[in-house]
Amino acid sequence: MAIQSATIARSHKATHANNAYLGHRFGKGTVYVILTVVAIFWIIPMLWAVDTAFKPETETTTIPVSWFPTHFTLQAFQEVLQAGDLPRWYLNSILTSVIITVLTVLLSSMAAFAFSRIPFRGRNAAFWLILAGIMVPAPILIIPLFTVIQSFGMVNSYWGLILPQIAVPVAVFIFKQFFDGLPHELEDAAIMDGASRWRVYWQIWMPLSQPAIAAVAIFAFVASWNNFVWPFIAVTSTEMMTLPVGLATVQTSYGIHYAQIMATAVLGGLPTLIAFLFFQRQIIQGFAGTGLKE
Amino acid sequence: MHQQPENVFGRRRFLQGAAMLGLAGLAGGTLASCGSPSSSSSITFWNLFGGGDGARMIEMEQAFQQQNPASNFKAVTLAWGAPYYTKLAMSAVGGSPPNAAITHLSRLRTYAAADILEPIDLPFLAQYGVTENDFLPAVWQRAQFNGKLHSIPLDTHPFVMYYNVDVCRKAGLLDSDNNLKPLQGPEALTDAFLRAQKVTGDVGLSLEVQGTTVWRLFNGLYKQLGGDVLSPDGTQFVLNEAHAEQALNFMSNLTLKSKVANPNIDYGGSVALFGSGKAGFHWNGEWEVTTFEGTMNFNMVPFPNVFGGSQTWADSHAFIIPRGATPDQQTKAATYQFITGLLKQSFTWAKGGHIPAYLPVAESAQYKALKPQSNYASDAGVAVLDPAAWFSGAGSQFETAAQNSFEGALTGQMSVPQSLQLFHSSVQRLIDQPVPLPQSVSG
Amino acid sequence: MSDTSIQQQVIQHDVSPSLKAYPKRASRWRFDLVGWGFILPLLIAYAIFLLWPILLGLRMSFFNWSLVGSGTNDFLGFGNYAEALSDPDFWSSLWNTIVFTVISTPILVVLSLALALMVNGISRRVQWIYRLAFFAPYTLSVTVMTLIWSWMFEPGFGLLNSVLNSLGLPSVNWLTQPGVAMLSIVLVTVWWTLGFNFLLYLAGLQQISKDMYEASALDGAGWWTQVRHITVPLLNRQTLLILVLQVIASLQLFGQTYLLTSGGPAFSTRPVIEFIYDSGFTNFRVGFAAATSYLFFILILLISLGQFWFLSRQGRNS
Repeated sequence: MAIQSATIARSHKATHANNAYLGHRFGKGTVYVILTVVAIFWIIPMLWAVDTAFKPETETTTIPVSWFPTHFTLQAFQEVLQAGDLPRWYLNSILTSVIITVLTVLLSSMAAFAFSRIPFRGRNAAFWLILAGIMVPAPILIIPLFTVIQSFGMVNSYWGLILPQIAVPVAVFIFKQFFDGLPHELEDAAIMDGASRWRVYWQIWMPLSQPAIAAVAIFAFVASWNNFVWPFIAVTSTEMMTLPVGLATVQTSYGIHYAQIMATAVLGGLPTLIAFLFFQRQIIQGFAGTGLKE
Repeated sequence: MHQQPENVFGRRRFLQGAAMLGLAGLAGGTLASCGSPSSSSSITFWNLFGGGDGARMIEMEQAFQQQNPASNFKAVTLAWGAPYYTKLAMSAVGGSPPNAAITHLSRLRTYAAADILEPIDLPFLAQYGVTENDFLPAVWQRAQFNGKLHSIPLDTHPFVMYYNVDVCRKAGLLDSDNNLKPLQGPEALTDAFLRAQKVTGDVGLSLEVQGTTVWRLFNGLYKQLGGDVLSPDGTQFVLNEAHAEQALNFMSNLTLKSKVANPNIDYGGSVALFGSGKAGFHWNGEWEVTTFEGTMNFNMVPFPNVFGGSQTWADSHAFIIPRGATPDQQTKAATYQFITGLLKQSFTWAKGGHIPAYLPVAESAQYKALKPQSNYASDAGVAVLDPAAWFSGAGSQFETAAQNSFEGALTGQMSVPQSLQLFHSSVQRLIDQPVPLPQSVSG
Repeated sequence: MSDTSIQQQVIQHDVSPSLKAYPKRASRWRFDLVGWGFILPLLIAYAIFLLWPILLGLRMSFFNWSLVGSGTNDFLGFGNYAEALSDPDFWSSLWNTIVFTVISTPILVVLSLALALMVNGISRRVQWIYRLAFFAPYTLSVTVMTLIWSWMFEPGFGLLNSVLNSLGLPSVNWLTQPGVAMLSIVLVTVWWTLGFNFLLYLAGLQQISKDMYEASALDGAGWWTQVRHITVPLLNRQTLLILVLQVIASLQLFGQTYLLTSGGPAFSTRPVIEFIYDSGFTNFRVGFAAATSYLFFILILLISLGQFWFLSRQGRNS
């Protein structure tokens, strides 16, 4: 444990003066060159998509291809926004993702709190039952889940989209790990004063758990926003589709209008990309957290 | 992070959380009702028309809207084939189907037997001026299931022969009126293709090998020789091996022996090949007519008599009403009005190459003057659809099995007997599967 | 409080929950009530949308259950399972899935480590550029990703073939040629998901103290020796996590193939999940599809458990 603390303390130093052995071996310049070349290759597909989206339609299929059309235009975006259900799909995605995120954080943190902090009979059994769910890959369930939703009459409805996505065993695990690590003295005083478990959970533990909440919330949001398989199956009419499903299913008048297709790609990918840019720190820290867990 | 008194933080977060939940719940609740079938007189129409057909359907919808300004409808296009049909079935099963949709008649029996279609209300339909007399009897028959009409036919689209007028003239294949001299029998056809090939220097015949065209060609040729592939109820494989072999041999000779056709070409490639003048002839469905119009000098005729008949593969598009799509009179009226309204725009549809099923258009002088589209109108009577089985129809497992089996014979990867053997075993496997329908497709 | 200080507390305190604060003589049922009350919402959702489907699916797999109609539930016993096991389409979809996993996993593990090593070695101030470049694709949905790549792969006007042609090379049918199609799927998946592994490795690398390298350098260890004997073992936890997650994610391949190749050409890229989807929803045979799902589930379970066992043994030995 002492080593761990020392490692943490030194990690600050390590991050500022990184392992330069690669640089010593090959020369920093080479590393930069290789990295930059690879990074450019990585970015090119997205840049090309954006470039195409701003071209006039007739100039997307010129040979030889070029990055620069005679002029850039917003026409493809206009046509895409007017023609299809794109705004509606955005609304559906926002609505369902927000609700899923809130419910996921709520349900899994409540359960984790109980597992971590309340000694009740059957706790271990319930915990292992829920954890066992991690072993079940979601795509295995699409067939019977559709039948279940169908029997509730929830096919093609928001709740049919949302409810199957809110029980996330991994989130319970993450919260429990985090709660286990918080000092219990924090609640002892409150309990002594007669506070209920709910108040302890809501007013003491949750405010302290912002890293865990942030991690779970961000991953739940992005995962549900980008989720394809279940929304693809659960939703049948175009007004109810989320963004990924709508973009994949509806052909409308795009035909072979590549500028328009790329405009939909840009509009579809922008939200999560921007979310990543804003929440980079939290996301990275979420990743770093997995390294520190025992 | 700055310090905050825990209580205040807790209360604020509680309020934020509660507000969000409340808002979300409210929104979710009110919007949950938006998942139900469209209300009163706004209707949804699903089709699978992309490209030129898609543009034409939009044209028809706009014309309908102009004539019926009060009509409130929304048209949605999904990807052709399995994606479209899968979504259609799931929407009907899930309780939120579109009010009207397109189907291929080759798929009608399966969907009717699956009990996800509403039979057409004939007296109601008559109110909009559409009755049985307005359709070719052969097509009207195909739109039935269990003795009841389950769809309203829009068109028949057969497999035809295109030819490049300039190439054929140079090859000496045209008569004095600049029409193609009748070609009959395998030798005459192969000879014609060879002559065309000498002129183009590339291929004589442009034919897609890597796709469904192979099945369509086979079906027509096989039918000309006579025989069925499946028993009428779709439960037995009854292929006449000799005839099948004869048909497939003729096909593979074109790519492997006389080499008038390219053995490794996909759909887009075959269309482009003919369109760029590198082929004298093109065997395909009639729907590519607008692709070639204006860019080249071509003509279209019915598929030739190769083995003693004029049969050719075809399918039909038709309107269907999924079960549960017309819960009230208003919706029903709007739906029937929409369908019949589009039907009356069939001339626009015919320009895309299809033979209109609606006789007032098909028998009109306007259509008869439409060339080359009206050249093959006779095909509507001799068209052969895919065999009836729950696993058959446009873009179905059956067509995939046929395509996968026959392609090898044309590319030379398999011998013709091997190819037929593969076809037999693939289809037999489909037949052996327990049927997932409440009733038989032969109903 | 900063995050690191909380985590320092995490390390220093006793992690088992204390019962000291709770009244000694409180009857146990009160705790039970509260405890179960807290887990009930999750448990209900879990039971209805995870447990029940598992059981229902199992039941469905023994019948000729259909997507349409209601009177088609003939009891088949193990008929669906037997049919799946003798269905060449099932085996070929399984083969496609395994081929995809076997090809993509090493690339995704090794390449992400290599890139993380390189990015770790450069100045902290510019690291964010490369982090963004490699992780940005991961933020996209599968639909957007495949839209972008289907345009890149377009035979006539796509960027890839245009570049090839300008170099004098022939065009490639990226998505329609058997053999090539699967490699294209691997390519887009690597592009799309490498960022995740990369970040995990980068985070892990940044925890490794520089002193270890300095000490080993003093002992005369070269660069490659350092990587092999210090870096890789210290990243064991990350590698284990990445491998397990990677393999499981690869086995669940669906979106990329459904959207880019529709499982083609001639089903040569169709993975198991797509086979299940086709059988159940396209061909109406949900009973058969459920049976196939369970066969596949058993396989995934065996592979995951096997991985855990094998890799944790390795971890212990090193």
